[in-house]
Amino acid sequence: MTPAAELRGVAKRYGATVALDEVDLVVPRGGVLALLGPNGAGKSTALALLLGLRRPDAGWARLGGSDPRLPRARRGVGVTPQEIAMPPTLRAEEALELVRRHYPAPLAAAELVERFGLLPLLRRQCGGLSGGERRLVAVALAFAGAPHLVVLDEPSAGLDAAARLRVWEAIRAHAGAGGTVLLTTHQLAEADALADRVVVLDRGRVVAAAALDEIKARAGLTSVAFRANGPLPLDGAVRDGERVRFAVRDAGLLVARLVRAGVSLEGLEVRPLTLEEALAQLEGTP
Amino acid sequence: MRLAAAHARVLALELARQPAYVVPTLAFPTLFFLIFAGGPAADANARLARFAAFAAIGVAFFQFGVGIAGDRASPWELYLRTLPVPAWSRFAARLVPAAAFAAAAAGLVAVAAMLATPVSLSASAAVAVAATLLAGTIPFGLLGIALGYWAPPRASLPLANLLYLSLSYAGGLWIPPDRLPPAVEPFSRLLPTRALADALAAAAAARPAPPGAWLELAAFSVLFAALAAAGYARDEGRRFR
Repeated sequence: MTPAAELRGVAKRYGATVALDEVDLVVPRGGVLALLGPNGAGKSTALALLLGLRRPDAGWARLGGSDPRLPRARRGVGVTPQEIAMPPTLRAEEALELVRRHYPAPLAAAELVERFGLLPLLRRQCGGLSGGERRLVAVALAFAGAPHLVVLDEPSAGLDAAARLRVWEAIRAHAGAGGTVLLTTHQLAEADALADRVVVLDRGRVVAAAALDEIKARAGLTSVAFRANGPLPLDGAVRDGERVRFAVRDAGLLVARLVRAGVSLEGLEVRPLTLEEALAQLEGTP
Repeated sequence: MRLAAAHARVLALELARQPAYVVPTLAFPTLFFLIFAGGPAADANARLARFAAFAAIGVAFFQFGVGIAGDRASPWELYLRTLPVPAWSRFAARLVPAAAFAAAAAGLVAVAAMLATPVSLSASAAVAVAATLLAGTIPFGLLGIALGYWAPPRASLPLANLLYLSLSYAGGLWIPPDRLPPAVEPFSRLLPTRALADALAAAAAARPAPPGAWLELAAFSVLFAALAAAGYARDEGRRFR
């Protein structure tokens, strides 16, 4: 099946700065793919290439198998950029209606309003909305056309807890209905909560690309944490005040060795690594 | 066309809700007309036509020139490029509100002229003036677009003002070209506004335009279209390559 979007062998430079270098990125149809990486990793450039806003210096980009610069290729895509700055005198309902008109079978306006809780915002001009309200409308724009692929650049940045949950629910519902979501986020907890695949970019290169569970498994591992004041008989622990944490493949074996060594294991916590911890393991940082 | 209409509607709403745009665009040419309304009665028809042109080309400079320059730095415009709409549709959408504002601004001048000056245009002369205005403002629309693509966003407003006011004055849109100061008159003949003023004066007097006027306007149209196309290509290359 044709992927929802893909970059193949893509390189992009801005002057002397290498934004992307030999990047392969495949967004399969269905599910949520999170594109992660620190600032300057190349995430926004990757999205710009996928959306036809930039041309790769090498390699190619496809949206649903077509050149993303063609309007017909973009019929199946809804986007929320990191910054959108809707015209201040435009009402929220007018912005939503404008976007809906671009798609052959858009989401019903009432359903869109209900899904994002937009009723109190509809008649207000965008310039009068708070930052969080504007962000919520901007995210709703991506879903307005009922596209197959929804691309969200930092979707929950600036949202309060209730709005963030609405956005998360919309993402889950879209993926649950067979749609595809590609999102970037700095909040690993968000990727952990939503994504089933993760691609990690660092300095313009893909450093990890796999299913979320696979990344966690590849990184390791299980977290074993407890309170300990004195020295420990084993290497590899990370200390955070009184608590120490091990990331190990076999938690049972570790606990047995600690018990045999007479460590008290007060406040013992054994759990799978979070995505953040898994990525830190992959990158070789403690 | 459906998408162009949707974008045109949104653009018109955006502009219509900005008093800082609407009031000067509509009122400024009429105020200027009233300042210069005390000229000779024999010039009343031509004066109406010249100030209607002054009103219309103001829209070309500010809506196209300043508008496009501002949009080049606008995240909303970047977002609109991600929608499934061809570039020509969005460009065509700019023409509708511009034409509406130009017609409204020129119409207000006409109303002021009829109320405050001894205008006596025959129906055929009025049609000829309107047609001359419609065709004669094309090069200025293209110049506005060129300005929008070449000027940095922050410089576009002062540049638009400079071009708009100096071309209007030196081209003879405010005072009859034959009454321009001798130092200005030779330069005036080189300007597109002068060609337009001459064509409008002829239309208002129900006589044929001087043969060179339309040729000049056509030549300026080609020049400004080339400038606009080069500016567009340069901007696309900078922002989207």
